[in-house]
Amino acid sequence: MQSPRTKILVLVPFPVSDEQLALRANQLDAAALPEGVDVHFKPTKAAPSNYVSHHDYVLADMSMLESGLHAEADGYQAVCIDTVSDSAVSALRSMLNIPVVGPGRTMYAIASMLGRRFGIVTMWKQWFPLYERVLADIGLADRCAGIRSIDVTPDNRTLLAGKDHALPLLLDAARALVEEDGADVICLGSTTMHEAHEHLQENLDVPVINPGPMSYFVAEALVALGLSHSPSAYPPPLVPKPDVVHAMLDAAATADAERR
Amino acid sequence: MSRVLVLVPFALDDAGLARRAEQTREVALNQDVTYEFRAVKAGPTSFVSPHDWLLLDIALFEAGLVAEQEGFDAVVIDTVSDSGADALRSMLDIPVVAPGRASLIFSLTLGRRFGIMAQWEPALARYEKVLDEWGLRARCAGVDHFDTPPDFSNLIVGKEDEILPKMEAACHRLIERGADVICLGSTTMHQAHAHLSAVLDVPVVNPGPLSYKLVETLLAFGLTHSRTAYPRPLVPKPQMVSAMLDAAAAVERAHDA
Repeated sequence: MQSPRTKILVLVPFPVSDEQLALRANQLDAAALPEGVDVHFKPTKAAPSNYVSHHDYVLADMSMLESGLHAEADGYQAVCIDTVSDSAVSALRSMLNIPVVGPGRTMYAIASMLGRRFGIVTMWKQWFPLYERVLADIGLADRCAGIRSIDVTPDNRTLLAGKDHALPLLLDAARALVEEDGADVICLGSTTMHEAHEHLQENLDVPVINPGPMSYFVAEALVALGLSHSPSAYPPPLVPKPDVVHAMLDAAATADAERR
Repeated sequence: MSRVLVLVPFALDDAGLARRAEQTREVALNQDVTYEFRAVKAGPTSFVSPHDWLLLDIALFEAGLVAEQEGFDAVVIDTVSDSGADALRSMLDIPVVAPGRASLIFSLTLGRRFGIMAQWEPALARYEKVLDEWGLRARCAGVDHFDTPPDFSNLIVGKEDEILPKMEAACHRLIERGADVICLGSTTMHQAHAHLSAVLDVPVVNPGPLSYKLVETLLAFGLTHSRTAYPRPLVPKPQMVSAMLDAAAAVERAHDA
């Protein structure tokens, strides 16, 4: 008898071209998932331009909620968020019974199993509050040895293309986290940095966590174990408003198109 | 003369808005400051789930987005959930007062530990989130509730005999657990504040009126939120936010019709 396939939906936090979506999907090459797992990537209808302000966080939460709202009805067994900001994880968990995996909280939890303290290496300082929010949310701030940025403006669509100079800077920052800040494990500060993972891991003696691919494995594991989030932590609304959410994102996409 | 915009988290009618505005009469206010109450265009129906919290965040964000351009000198959020406050701070230079965090932090100037009186059991999750976000769990004696479904327009009037004894009992349980100060868990509880203050031996913080006194203070000192804590977006999208709420309101109207 053939075992049923596990379908995982990965929510990409921006409207992107097919080519840019493929760059995101390259995260699948990092490690081979078990047989029978299908991973689909889905971009949002609209989005903030960056993730550097509370203005952006609210728009990101709304767009990711909308994007994942029908995942369960569409036959997926799990949802992964393709951003370590874990945008909309809570809201989606309140609407879905299937596991919704936030790569940020997952990465910090797994890093805490691999060492006493972890460090986060990232592209620019403007992302620090994203890490602080998730760390506060899951209560692991004390396990974070430090956050270091290389001050290179990221591109959430083309990722590290044309940024070869970033690799040695990321390695230096990661080494400083280990040698000066006491990190036992390095966390990549964005799923968009997955292209740097191999280089960092080859050149460092401590574990380096690649949050996107890690989240797919955790999603698969949750499905296999029959585990999902607790409804007492993520209660459903008394009056769900999926039609309102969809109408809002359709309007957002139109407004964004007009602005451009 | 300073103008303060108070953002009301539910799409109330004029009578409901007027009852919200009664909070400004529960404390002596600077006569040089005027308060205008504005309801959101659309929003969640309940307030018990991350689904609801997110919808309210964006609804209140939209309601206050152009407050500064409209000539207001400050914004007050009329809910202790502080929904929309962070996003508004990222877009506005005028003070945005968030009564939830303000009342909890302020209560620590009055006692070692505070207790939060919530409405009903489904509301408790939201306070858990706030305590973690603000790192205040160690100073919280407990969160209790008086087991009554919310009424966002009129919680108490005409129902005093039924509700006030339940509220008193919840406060006494918090005091037994070590609360030195009681924080009302919703601005809608303002109608009970006078009674509870009279019958309890500990201070009772009324978050709405406290937020008005804080806004007066911030205006007097010319203080506002720190830009490093609430950075501006690189690409602001106010039209997108407005379009989203117009779309939400249109769906709600279609449902009501």
